[in-house]
Amino acid sequence: MYQKFLTARSPVRLLEKGLHGGLGKGNLGLVLAGHGVGKTPFLVGVALDELIRGGNVLHVGIDQTVAHTRAHYDTLYDELVSQAHLDDAAQLHAEIDRRRSIRAVTSARFSAEKLREAAKLQQEMGSPPALVILENLDAARATREELRGLRALAQELGAEIWLSAACAGERVDGLPGALADSRDAFGVVLALEPDGKHVALRALKDHENPDVSALRVALDPRTLLLTRS
Amino acid sequence: MATLELSKIRNIGISAHIDSGKTTLTERILYYTQRIHRIHEVKGKDQVGATMDFMELERERGITIQSAATYCEWKGSHVNIIDTPGHVDFTIEVERSLRVLDGAILVLCGVAGVQSQSMTVDRQMRRYKVPRLAFINKLDRSGANPRRVVEGLRDKLKLNAVPMQIPIGLEADFRGVVDLVTMKALRFEGDNGEHVVEEEIPAELRGEAEAAREQMLDAVSMFSDELTEAILDEKVSEELIRDAVRKGVLSLQLCPVFLGSAYKNKGVQPLLDAVNAYLPSPEDVENTAVDLANNEQPIVLSPDPNKPLVALAFKLEEGRYGQLTYVRVYQGVLSRGLTLTNARTRRRVKVGRLVRMHANEMEEIEASAGGDIVALFGIDCASGDTFTDGSIEVAMSSMFVPDPVISLSIKPKDSKSQANFSKALGRFVREDPTFRAGVDPESGETVISGMGELHLDVYVERMRREYQVEVATGAPQVAYRETISQRADYNYTHKKQTGGSGQYGKIGGYIEPITDRSKDFEFLDEVRGGAVPVEFIPSVEKGFRSMIGKGRLIGFPVIGLRVVLNDGAAHSVDSSDNAFQAAARGAFREVYPRARPIILEPLMKLAVEGPAEFQGAVLKTILQRRGTVIGTTEAEGFCQVEAEVPLAEMFGYATDLRSNTQGKAEFTLEFARYSPAPRDVTEELIKKYGNRVKGGDEE
Repeated sequence: MYQKFLTARSPVRLLEKGLHGGLGKGNLGLVLAGHGVGKTPFLVGVALDELIRGGNVLHVGIDQTVAHTRAHYDTLYDELVSQAHLDDAAQLHAEIDRRRSIRAVTSARFSAEKLREAAKLQQEMGSPPALVILENLDAARATREELRGLRALAQELGAEIWLSAACAGERVDGLPGALADSRDAFGVVLALEPDGKHVALRALKDHENPDVSALRVALDPRTLLLTRS
Repeated sequence: MATLELSKIRNIGISAHIDSGKTTLTERILYYTQRIHRIHEVKGKDQVGATMDFMELERERGITIQSAATYCEWKGSHVNIIDTPGHVDFTIEVERSLRVLDGAILVLCGVAGVQSQSMTVDRQMRRYKVPRLAFINKLDRSGANPRRVVEGLRDKLKLNAVPMQIPIGLEADFRGVVDLVTMKALRFEGDNGEHVVEEEIPAELRGEAEAAREQMLDAVSMFSDELTEAILDEKVSEELIRDAVRKGVLSLQLCPVFLGSAYKNKGVQPLLDAVNAYLPSPEDVENTAVDLANNEQPIVLSPDPNKPLVALAFKLEEGRYGQLTYVRVYQGVLSRGLTLTNARTRRRVKVGRLVRMHANEMEEIEASAGGDIVALFGIDCASGDTFTDGSIEVAMSSMFVPDPVISLSIKPKDSKSQANFSKALGRFVREDPTFRAGVDPESGETVISGMGELHLDVYVERMRREYQVEVATGAPQVAYRETISQRADYNYTHKKQTGGSGQYGKIGGYIEPITDRSKDFEFLDEVRGGAVPVEFIPSVEKGFRSMIGKGRLIGFPVIGLRVVLNDGAAHSVDSSDNAFQAAARGAFREVYPRARPIILEPLMKLAVEGPAEFQGAVLKTILQRRGTVIGTTEAEGFCQVEAEVPLAEMFGYATDLRSNTQGKAEFTLEFARYSPAPRDVTEELIKKYGNRVKGGDEE
């Protein structure tokens, strides 16, 4: 019951509409934005949506600390429940914590293989991830093989894998760095850009659909949730 | 007057993982500063024991539990060493010590490197903004690798660690160090390494030393434009380097690294030089207190002897000389004969004897000024109390003391020991605010409580050793709590007519949860029009209060409960204090089950660290114990798993972890918070409680 309320402001709902069903299991999604625009809160919002609906999430932060990532989750969760007045907000929070796994790795040691190991470990522990977040991928270094490996992993796990990568400026002009060669590896590519008082979310790629103009949404710059208007 | 020159004072802590050689290092420092005249080894090989480890228990275990302060002099500086314990279970002691430090030496084992305990201690130092130097010890041991330890300092502790020395030889061949500031080789000669011999750098190390110096200058020049210029002009002086390092250390942005082997008497004197050169004096550190006369506004203290006295009692000890109170003077002068005011109790006490402590020997002094650490005799106070001269009302901000989460019943095996038993408990309670003792009103047993299994173990052992009391203890009990999760209304009449005057009291209102848990209990009187006569309202509150000590689910205290009284009735003859108390008790019994009571259990924060290949095994030990994994951090073949686990599941964890990881992982455990227990656990606890009270002793 409360799930519907809690996820009402999640941009995921609009993605599902605007993108013909969202990212979909077995696909790789990419979020691009400049530094500080809000890639992390956006992806944490996507992850919380999954968690509230009962799925397991594996969140891998490259060069991020566990505490940092967790703080993002707690902040956004508090924001969501502050409007819902749940009796058992604490219990739901505990349940979400149990179904979420945060891992911190250094960029020097990250590889698709590492991610596979982590996902397998989750499977062994009885909580196979339905969604994997890979935050802060180094766009300059990601190779075609690595991205293919990630896509294969998404298919193997039957999970969605969302990646985020930073662009140099505030505007997103296509895929940065080495990622440009791997456009075909991604099912969906999204861009976040500051737009006046909001952050604009638009699609650069939507599966095989040539027209991506349908999706253009204004998000709250603090929470990266849909604005309340 | 024997007060010390401020810029020459160093109040330092030596902080480290157990077994990285902290006690040995302290012992050597005291030896080289001529406070002791013979070196004793830890673990009491010669039945004397290292001087700082003066409690017998510590001697046996080879660890330091109590923090004592000791004073020594090095090349004109006055160094107070506050010995900080290294166990997580004694966090309150560590934190209380950190409060009075101006700087610290972080000791690391040259073989094991940065361990999870070092991380905990470093986190605490960061919180209290303590500038620190690192000393990589045990370089004589096989497997010693200072470079790896420096990397650990950078990666795991995120310190800007910069080696100030390079080793001459390593492991069995470790002979000394090259000082990168003076570019001299240092060797330590004499039976106990007391003669430091300065000589030219051995030719084979010249290149390495020059490269290391360049790196050091590169890192250090960040803190001084003058040094940067001097480097460009190739006119670098030792003084410029030292100034820059000092600036970096004081701003907490630089951690210079020193090398040695305390056990082999190498590298200790240069470390002492570094304490003088780089760690702050009390002048360099800002301390604040809260102004009790002005709404607890923070005020900055200055070590000015002409200002009113402010001193903090940070440690109590009952030794062979009677009760000793360690104080740090923050402002003004503390002198013999002065009358002090305790800011908490407002009681006034006179300073009889004032001493400077050297572990368990002492030196009488007349006065002590801002920045110094001294000890007082025969002052009755609690740890954490603030003393002033009575002219100002300030307190060093109060330190948070968590409630105990574990308890066990305890009694002396021999009735003759009862007197010593009580004396020991009294002293432990005064020394350690997280340790409590009391009598269970039901069983009549003495119950002690604290922050973890090990915490209580240590006091049981101390009782045996210091007070010769053999005790029997019960199984450890987790301190559960009960609370309610929804509002429920009550309307209750207490009526009794058994000949003579009767009893009558009627009350109505509701109970509800205090959601932000800011208070454990709150009673609100919202009675209109005198439905309950004013004189009986306290009786109602008293009646409710008498019930919350023991919840109806499992007999643990009820917290987070608000009782609102808004209606009732009284009888002109039959109503009494007793009748309304009984009405409140009856109302509580009747309403509590309808407010959906739940059980809260203490959750502990667990951090396990070990080789990455044991990650799966570690996760299993956590999941088996109803743990929630918060996150995993992987670096350099090691992984750290952070989790929250109910305390009830943590008994015997050390053994379990050891067997699952071939003894290669270690863990730290501290209290996190109270959290609702899951349904199956709740049911089990209720069942157990039901069996226990079946005897009919329940009202």
